[in-house]
Amino acid sequence: MGEIRQIAIYGKGGIGKSTTTQNLTAGLCEHGKKVMVVGCDPKADSTRLLLGGLAQKTVLDTIREEGEDISLDRIMKEGFGGTRCVESGGPEPGVGCAGRGIITSINMLENLGAYTDDLDYVFYDVLGDVVCGGFAMPIREGKAKEIYIVASGEMMALYAANNISKGIKRYARTGGVRLGGIICNSRNVDRELDLLRAFSKELGTKLLYFVPRDNVVQHAEIHKKTVIEYKPDSNQAQEYRNLAQAVIDNQDFVIPTPMTQERLEEILMEYGMMDLADDYRI
Amino acid sequence: MAKLLDKQRYKCALGAMQTVQAINRAIPILHSGPGCAQKLSDGIGSSGYFSPNIFPCTSINEKDVVFGGVKKLHSTIENALKVIDADLYVVLTGCIPEIVGDDSGEVVSEFADADKPVIYASTAGFKGNNYKGHEQIIDAIIEQYLKKADNRQKGLVNIWADVPYQDLFWLGNIRELEKLLREIGLTPNTIFGYNRGIENINKIPEAEFNLLVSPWVSVKNMKKMEKKLGIPYLHYPTLPIGAYETSKFLREVGKYAGIEVEKVERVITEHENYYYYLIERYADLFLENRVINKQFSVIADAQYALGITKFLTNDLGLVPAKQFIVDDTPKEYREAITEEFKKLNYGLSADVAFETDSYKIHNEIKAHDYHGYPLILGSYYDKELSEQLQGNYLNISWPVQDKVVLDDFYAGYTGGIRLIEDIYTVAVQRFN
Ligand SMILES: Nc1ncnc2c1ncn2[C@@H]1O[C@H](COP(=O)(O)OP(=O)(O)OP(=O)(O)O)[C@@H](O)[C@H]1O
Ligand code: SF4
Ligand SMILES: [Mg+2]
Repeated sequence: MGEIRQIAIYGKGGIGKSTTTQNLTAGLCEHGKKVMVVGCDPKADSTRLLLGGLAQKTVLDTIREEGEDISLDRIMKEGFGGTRCVESGGPEPGVGCAGRGIITSINMLENLGAYTDDLDYVFYDVLGDVVCGGFAMPIREGKAKEIYIVASGEMMALYAANNISKGIKRYARTGGVRLGGIICNSRNVDRELDLLRAFSKELGTKLLYFVPRDNVVQHAEIHKKTVIEYKPDSNQAQEYRNLAQAVIDNQDFVIPTPMTQERLEEILMEYGMMDLADDYRI
Repeated sequence: MAKLLDKQRYKCALGAMQTVQAINRAIPILHSGPGCAQKLSDGIGSSGYFSPNIFPCTSINEKDVVFGGVKKLHSTIENALKVIDADLYVVLTGCIPEIVGDDSGEVVSEFADADKPVIYASTAGFKGNNYKGHEQIIDAIIEQYLKKADNRQKGLVNIWADVPYQDLFWLGNIRELEKLLREIGLTPNTIFGYNRGIENINKIPEAEFNLLVSPWVSVKNMKKMEKKLGIPYLHYPTLPIGAYETSKFLREVGKYAGIEVEKVERVITEHENYYYYLIERYADLFLENRVINKQFSVIADAQYALGITKFLTNDLGLVPAKQFIVDDTPKEYREAITEEFKKLNYGLSADVAFETDSYKIHNEIKAHDYHGYPLILGSYYDKELSEQLQGNYLNISWPVQDKVVLDDFYAGYTGGIRLIEDIYTVAVQRFN
């Protein structure tokens, strides 16, 4: 068995990181892979679709209530297809330091021996805005070496992706972390595929996969399931399987080349998005 | 590039808990990690009504960082109010809760209806040193506790001078300043030390004016009181040590307070007569030693660097070499302070450097020709260097290791004599 591939998923808030990560995980399970998903978000909604609900007590809540002397099974639950699910959790909104919380809970996982050799993949699903050092924890100290950024054709999604790349670049020098590519979670923006390809190229990476937008995702969500579990025969389920295959096959890991704000806007211009804003109609 | 700061001579802002400890029956409540407090409590003696080494502290840990420490702060204050019989509770925050973003002010405001006053000062170490922390504490008292008075008391003067415990002679000095003001007919009011406390704090708003004796520390506090309490202030930047400066000081205070000149002059004459009687009797001692110690350097905070430089030059006729101010004086005050060093008698003027790095200070001292053995008045950090240079050395500023000061002082006429005694005790030991 090879080394565990530890993967961090970043991207603008609400872009679809958690949904995509879990469906991707389900796809990997079907390929017989052993996966652990670590939610790094105080909302603790990174494993809901795999566990069939917010069934998980978070690492930090457990530490808070029971102290640090806990066993692994208190904080790790088994979900769809034998995936291991952990939610780091965090403080209530507006108090404490969520970033430190991520650091604390990842350290806890290590101390409790969560990273067993039989794992093929570990995913870190990090909240939208990497506001402080704590949220960079998954890519520090050589944990996740592989990063995917979820983006769409919307300006702010690309803006965020570019910013995240700056962070990756910083840690790439010392920690060895690399960008594996951009995953487009489509918002049905005009010329989205072209834009994302151009954007990825400029970042020095590639568009790993284009996930279409589909209402079945929301239906599955309401049923607390991944699409693969909820409607295995749907088109969208197949898209996620393909995404899983793309991740498995991926060999291109780069240090990104983030662009200036001007250059980013130029690319957006080129693909017509700036003009579109003018005749936007409700 | 990160720079190395060698032996800086102050603590972090949280060190201003010593200011609280200088107020009788006031207790600091630290919202910080346990190490901060441990590290900062030193040199105050360790017993008394409240031992300076025993005080409530939230002792926050990783869990409090993640979830916020406000609950712990709340319970710590609550319990402190129950078990500690104090007149004033001052919450001081260290770095961690300030970084995490704990709203300590909000927690403290929940105790607005407590039987005893609870106030809060933001004293995170990253905000600056304990001189600034001291200002924060006074600021908290003004902002959160004091109210504008309906009646003002003619002749009542609040005196503000040294930073307690950071300045070795704070207690004796403030008493001496009180005494001098009393002699010219004013009623001094101070809040620090024995037999002072909450009643004196309560009296602050009734004062006719504030008297600040310090180059820069607390200037901001004076301005705040002027604005909030309507109390004007007289800023006298030099700690008066010895006859020359003290007489000048009394004249200026007397003039500001509208006291008749004859009264002030009578007090001055009486003091000066005795002062010069002593000087006269030991003039030969001074003369002999002047050959040995022609030039001096003071390495201290602005308060002592300026006060002592003026004294040694104006009263003892020594020649100032370079002087070093080590309190990280805010930039806005530096020019005015530098100007003060130019106002010396006999047409003299002293070079002054604002320098916090002892390595650089020591290099400059080593490079300077003192025309004989240097006289170094500084902290314990300067002892070894002085020995190397075969200089005469006196420990007058923090950190202090080889001296015990209970209420000794250098302020005023008497203080000048004490300083002479201390310096020449060192000088005569060279031969005896
Ligand atoms: N391909 C898709 N088609 C349709 N809806 C989608 C798709 N991907 C995600 N969504 C919907 O978008 C919403 C946000 O997704 P999700 O919670 O995964 O975002 P996120 O990036 O994890 O957000 P956060 O930054 O808040 O953690 C969800 O309601 C989800 O159902
Ligand atoms: S600098 Fe900060 S952490 Fe250090 S002692 Fe001061 S308050 Fe505590
Ligand atoms: Mg999410």
